[in-house]
Amino acid sequence: MNRKECTENTCTEQIQKIFHTAEVEVQREKRVKVKLRADLILPFLAYAKDYMNFKHLAHFSCVDWIEDNEFELVFMLWSYEANLMIMVKTRIDRSNPEFETLSHLWPQAETYEREMHEMFGVNFEGNNRLGEFILEDWEGIPPFRRDFNTIKYSQENFYQRPGREDAQNVRETVSKHSGKEVPDFAKEYSIRRIEE
Amino acid sequence: MREKETTLYLGPQHPGITGNIMVKLKVAGDTVVKAETHVGYLHRAFEKLMEQRTWIQCFPIVCRICVPEPDPNEENLARAIEEIEVREVPERAKYIRVMVLELARLATYGLWMGGQSGSMGLYTMPQWTVGDRDYIIDLFEELTGGRIYHMYIWAGGVRRDLPEGFTDRVLKVLDYLESRLPDYDNLLFNNAMFRKRAEGVGIIPKDKALEWGVVGPPLRGCGIKHDVRIDEPYEIYDKLDFEIPTAEGCDVWSRALVRRQEYEQSISIIRQVIDKMPGGDYYNKIPNPLTWKVPPGEAYVKTESARGEFGYYAVSDGSDKPRRIHVRGPAYVHGVSLLEKILVGANVADVSFIMNSLGTCPPEIER
Repeated sequence: MNRKECTENTCTEQIQKIFHTAEVEVQREKRVKVKLRADLILPFLAYAKDYMNFKHLAHFSCVDWIEDNEFELVFMLWSYEANLMIMVKTRIDRSNPEFETLSHLWPQAETYEREMHEMFGVNFEGNNRLGEFILEDWEGIPPFRRDFNTIKYSQENFYQRPGREDAQNVRETVSKHSGKEVPDFAKEYSIRRIEE
Repeated sequence: MREKETTLYLGPQHPGITGNIMVKLKVAGDTVVKAETHVGYLHRAFEKLMEQRTWIQCFPIVCRICVPEPDPNEENLARAIEEIEVREVPERAKYIRVMVLELARLATYGLWMGGQSGSMGLYTMPQWTVGDRDYIIDLFEELTGGRIYHMYIWAGGVRRDLPEGFTDRVLKVLDYLESRLPDYDNLLFNNAMFRKRAEGVGIIPKDKALEWGVVGPPLRGCGIKHDVRIDEPYEIYDKLDFEIPTAEGCDVWSRALVRRQEYEQSISIIRQVIDKMPGGDYYNKIPNPLTWKVPPGEAYVKTESARGEFGYYAVSDGSDKPRRIHVRGPAYVHGVSLLEKILVGANVADVSFIMNSLGTCPPEIER
């Protein structure tokens, strides 16, 4: 592609020409959003890297959409020539998260995959360094999943100093000690939060 | 005769002025054969914590992601929220933000100069630069109330207006910092010992630099002229006049030269900002922060921090808490996959030297 011609619109056209099933939309200036089937992601990334000059893997992220029972993998590719970013998104099954490694395309993807494996439990086939990265001796569900209960975990594993017990209503406690009333809007808010 | 291989553990107690990180080295003689980065000493699960905090409560959390340079974090999160919400930011706030970001860059470079020279045993430099950095931190204290963590930039603008006469005091500090540069040059940048130590050490292959995700001064030290401030100007960088210095050597020495020139550029940027600073509002008020809901959406924003591209990916599902905030610090790539590669073949004594030149910052690797 001629580098001067690569704008949001030409980029969209080119992607749609090659990948018919891709849903492409221009999010804003310098941002193009591409949604793809999971099995097309690797061919797409390789194509974008080699033929569209998106050389820089700026970011690689995972979002837990627990209500859909899906993980969303998000790849940000930046083209230094067109000064354009494409955000590539796909969804994979949450109960059996499997994906292929990208480390043959970008070596730094290995680090992202190691973290995602540890924090979300996504298995990246072909990455042989999956294992302990940040956590140590972790058992149970991966901690960044939405259904991991952090409060329960900390209550079971750590203890509070006497008088500093957790889960007390901070506003009520402060007002009890200071003798001042909790404002009405804050009262509603704290009640709502506790019920949640 | 083949030399016996030994395993060395460098860290986790601050190998150089970097933070807690461990590099497991396999060495033959004093040459590194294999390096492996081990992190996890600073993991505080900020990203998970933020999923259980309201949007406004995230601001005191994000600045703690990087100790030497917290402001790009705040600015990124603020800008991500503004992008999702489509919230206007007053012009004056943008100028103030750029001033804070560039002051933070100067402070970080001060700390870097100290770390870089400290890791080769030149201990006068840290005394000087950390001392001079303190004048910038004093300014921050006056402006924001915090010396290190400012919590000053937030969605919609900045937290409060500049105090009276503040810009004059900034200019005075800038004059002082500029007057110190000849001393820095004499001690560090014109120092034959430093040049001998740094030239040809920690080489990043130029043809691989983009592919390996190198950003910031290490990328520009490879002669590749890319900077987020130019590639995707944010705030008011497109209205300012500054240069992007580069150097050709791909080694520690080139990275040092790039940073040294950027130091001057930052001083000039702050002067321009103060010169052009408009009046008016500094804050476009957000709704009641206790019930503030950000509409569903997502944004990836990035800033050029002193160590390279700092990106934030924020997702909102329409509730009062973020669905996900994922931080991309430059050290995430520099400190793990890049460091492991370029340490191979290096001398053991150069390991922390190279780490400093890449701007490794462990708190942003594990967040």
